[in-house]
Amino acid sequence: MFKALKEKLFSARKKLEHSIEETTPEPARTPEEVPAESGSSPEVLAEKTQEPSLEKKTSPKFTDKVVSFVRDREFIISEKDVSGILDELEMGLLESDVAFSVTEAILSRIKSDLTGSKRKIGKSVDSVVRDALSEALLGVLGEGVDICSFIREHERPVKVLFTGVNGTGKTTSIAKVTRYLQNNGFSVVLGAGDTFRAGAIEQIDVHGGRLGVKVIQHQEGSDPTAVLFDTVEYARAHKIDVVLGDTAGRFHNRANLMNQLEKIRRIIKPDLIVYVDEAVAGNDAVIRAEEFQKSVGMDAIMLTKVDMDPKGGAAISVAYAVGKPLIFIGTGQGYDDIMAFNPRDVVNDLLGDA
Amino acid sequence: MLDNLGSNLKDALRKLAGKTVIDKAAVEELIKDLQRALLQADVNVKQVMQLSQTIRKRALDEQPPKGVTAREHVLRIVYEELVALVGKKVEVTLGKQVILMAGLQGSGKTTTTAKLARFFKKKGMRVAVICADTFRPGAYTQVKTLCDKVNVPCFGDPSEQDARKIVRDGLARIKEEVIIVDTQGRHALEDDLITEIIDLNEITNADHRWLVLDAALGQQAREQARRFHEAVNIDGVIITKMDGTAKGGGAMSAVAETESGIVFIGQGETVEDLEWFDPNSYISRLLGMGDLKALAERVQESIDEQDIDVNAMLSGRFTLRDMYRQLEAVNKMGPLKQVLSMLPLGGMELPAEALDVTAQKMSKYRVIMDSMTSVELDDPTVLNGSRIQRIARGAGAQLEEVRELIKYYKMMKRTFKGLKGGEKGMQRLMKKFGKMG
Ligand SMILES: Nc1nc2c(ncn2[C@@H]2O[C@H](COP(=O)(O)OP(=O)(O)O)[C@@H](O)[C@H]2O)c(=O)[nH]1
Ligand SMILES: Nc1nc2c(ncn2[C@@H]2O[C@H](COP(=O)(O)OP(=O)(O)O)[C@@H](O)[C@H]2O)c(=O)[nH]1
Ligand SMILES: [Mg+2]
Ligand SMILES: [Mg+2]
Repeated sequence: MFKALKEKLFSARKKLEHSIEETTPEPARTPEEVPAESGSSPEVLAEKTQEPSLEKKTSPKFTDKVVSFVRDREFIISEKDVSGILDELEMGLLESDVAFSVTEAILSRIKSDLTGSKRKIGKSVDSVVRDALSEALLGVLGEGVDICSFIREHERPVKVLFTGVNGTGKTTSIAKVTRYLQNNGFSVVLGAGDTFRAGAIEQIDVHGGRLGVKVIQHQEGSDPTAVLFDTVEYARAHKIDVVLGDTAGRFHNRANLMNQLEKIRRIIKPDLIVYVDEAVAGNDAVIRAEEFQKSVGMDAIMLTKVDMDPKGGAAISVAYAVGKPLIFIGTGQGYDDIMAFNPRDVVNDLLGDA
Repeated sequence: MLDNLGSNLKDALRKLAGKTVIDKAAVEELIKDLQRALLQADVNVKQVMQLSQTIRKRALDEQPPKGVTAREHVLRIVYEELVALVGKKVEVTLGKQVILMAGLQGSGKTTTTAKLARFFKKKGMRVAVICADTFRPGAYTQVKTLCDKVNVPCFGDPSEQDARKIVRDGLARIKEEVIIVDTQGRHALEDDLITEIIDLNEITNADHRWLVLDAALGQQAREQARRFHEAVNIDGVIITKMDGTAKGGGAMSAVAETESGIVFIGQGETVEDLEWFDPNSYISRLLGMGDLKALAERVQESIDEQDIDVNAMLSGRFTLRDMYRQLEAVNKMGPLKQVLSMLPLGGMELPAEALDVTAQKMSKYRVIMDSMTSVELDDPTVLNGSRIQRIARGAGAQLEEVRELIKYYKMMKRTFKGLKGGEKGMQRLMKKFGKMG
C-alpha cells in the first residue's frame, strides 16, 4: 500500500531538506524578509487546523529570530523556503486520493510544524523534516487497535458490528476476519444482519459454511436487530468468543436506514463497531465516514479493496475525518487477503527510502 | 453530481456581469472555483489541470462575438468544456442487442442489470438476463430474485465454475431480443479476470460494453477505465449510487478516458431507481439554464395528460385547481425537489418551503382542497375569513392549516411566474449559443 504516496513523500522530503539546508547559512535576516502570513491556502482548512498552539508558530517574529540565532544558535525555517515543495506534495496527496479537505489540513500541519520552528544546529535537517512528516501522518492515522488483545480484555462474547455504505465489502470482510480470528484461536459465530439485499443471506451463509462457522439467519426482509440478537444469544449459550454481525449497506443520508442501524446498536450494544469503506473511494469517503460517526458512531475502520488501489489515500482521509484507528485492510477477495493495520509500521515504511 | 459547482460558478460568473472586456482576475477566480469543485467531486487531478488551462486560454484569447457580453462569452466556454468532460450522449436503441456489464467489485453491476432489464421491458422489449458471475457467493440468487421482481427470465447455473460456458449455453437457449450479461467484479490488476471479460466479449459479440462505476470512485477511476477500455472497448458508463453524497467525478474521468459517455445514472437500491442521462441538459441544469426538455419527458412518461398541464404551470395563470393537479402529479413524478431542479430557474433561489412539503402534508392539502367550491378553486382571491372557516370545518382541519395551504399556494404561484421569465431568458441564451457555435 501507499507506494505512490511513499515516492511523493520521499521526493518532498529530499527537496525540503535541500531547501532548508540552503537557507541555513544566513539565519539573521532583515525584517522585510520575515515571511508574510500565507494568503494562498484555501479556506477549507481553516476550520480543522486552527489549533491555537500551531497558530503562534506560523509567523516567526523578527526578534525571535535574532534572539534564537544569537543565543541558542538555532535557526528558523520560513514558509517561503518550503512552499513550492509543499505544493508538489499537495498534488501527490490528491492524486493518491487523499480527500481535498484532508490534504489541505495535512499540509497546513506540516507547514506549521516546519516553518517558524526553531531548530538546534546540531539536529540534522533530515530529522527535522522526517519528524514533521511523521507527526503529521501519525496524527492522522492515530494508534492502531489489536483485535486479539481487545477480545482478551473484554467479556465474552465480544460483539463486533460491521457497518458502511453499499458494496464496500462488509460481508467479505466478515468472512476474512472470521478466518483471522480462527487463526488466533478464537471461536466465531456470524449474524446474517443484511436481510435487505437480494442474495445477501445466502452469501454470508456460503462463507460460514466454507469457514466452518455457524451463521444465524432469519428470512429476507426480517428485522436485522432480531437476527443479531439471536446471534448473541447463540454465542452465549455455546460459549463462543466472538459475534460478527453483518448489516445491510446503507447511505448516511437515508434517515430511516440510519435509524434502523441506531436501533441495532442500542439493542445489541456492540463492543466494537467496525466501519468498512473501500480504498478506491474518493472525497465522499470523508463525508460518509463523518456522517456514520455522527449518527451511530464507530470504533475502528476497515479499508477494503486496497489491491485495486494501492495508493491508499482513502485510509488517510477516513482516519483523519473521524479520528478513529484503522484496524484491518482488505487486499483481495480471498479469506487470507487481510492485514492487521499498524500505523507506526506504515508511517515508518512511508518515510523510508522510496 | 457537481451541484456545488453550480452555485460556485454562478457566483463567479456574476462577477463578470455587465463587463464588456474579460477581466483576467475574474477568470482566474472562476477557474479556481471550478478546480475546487471538480477536485472535490473526484475528477482526475490531471484532467482538472488540463481543463483549467483550456478554459483560461480560450476565455482570454478568443474574441467574444459582437453583442455578446463577457459573462456570456465565458459561460459558453465553461459550458462547452464541461459538456466535453461529461462526454457525449449515448444513444440507447430499442432493437435486438447484447449488453455486457463490466466493472469493479461491488460497483452495482447486478443491481443495474435488473434496472436495465426493467427499463427495456417497460419500453416493450423482450428481455433476458445471463448470470455470468461464478465467483461471488449468492450471486445467482441475487440476480434471479431481482429478475423475478421485474418478470424477466434469468439464465444461470450456480454450480458451474466456468463463466464462458454459462454464457455460451445461455446464448444458445435465449430467444429474447435484449440480453444483458451480468459479470463478476474485477479490477485492472487482475489479469485472469481481465482475460475472462475479453473472452466473454468475444463469445457474446456484445453490442454494448457498459462500465458500471460507483459515484464515489476517486482518482483510480481513470486507470481502471483505461484497462477495461483496452480490454473490451467500453462504449458507455453507468454511474451508480448517485443517491448518496458522492459526486461522480471519478466516473466522469472514466468517460473521458474511454471517450464514451454516461448512459444511465443509478439512484437507489430498487429496480426503479434508474435515470437516463443527457449530458447537455445536465450541464445546462448545473449552470442554471434549466432543462425544460427533461421535465417534459418525465412528465410525459409518468403522467396521463389530463393530470397536469405544464403550460398552465408556466403560464402564470396558476389556480388552486392547478395546484391540486400538481400535487397529485408530484406523487408520480417524484420528489418536488427533483422536478423543480429541472426547471429553468436561472439564478433565482427557490424558497426552501417550496421543497420541504412532506407527502403527509400534501395529502392534507388535498383533503382541504376537496372541501373547496369550484369558484374557490378557480379563483383563490375570493377566499375570506368565513370561507376559510367553512373549508376548515368541512375538511376537519385547523384554520391554521388552511391558511398555511393558501400561503403555500401563493408561494407556488410566485415561483411559477418566475419560471416564465426564466424560460425566455434561457431561450435567448440558447439562441445566442446557436449563433455563435
Ligand atoms: N478486490 C477486492 N474485492 C473485494 C474486497 N473486499 C470485498 N470485495 C468484493 O467486493 C464485492 C462486494 O463485497 P461485499 O462483501 O458483498 O460488500 P457489502 O455489500 O459491503 O457486504 C464482492 O464482489 C467482494 O468479493 C477486497 O479487499 N478486494
Ligand atoms: N443506494 C444505492 N445502492 C446501490 C445502487 N446500485 C447498487 N447498489 C447497492 O450496492 C451494493 C452492490 O451492488 P451489486 O449490484 O451487488 O454490485 P456488483 O457487485 O457490482 O454486482 C448492493 O448493496 C446494492 O444494493 C444505487 O444506485 N444506489
Ligand atoms: Mg453485505
Ligand atoms: Mg454482482
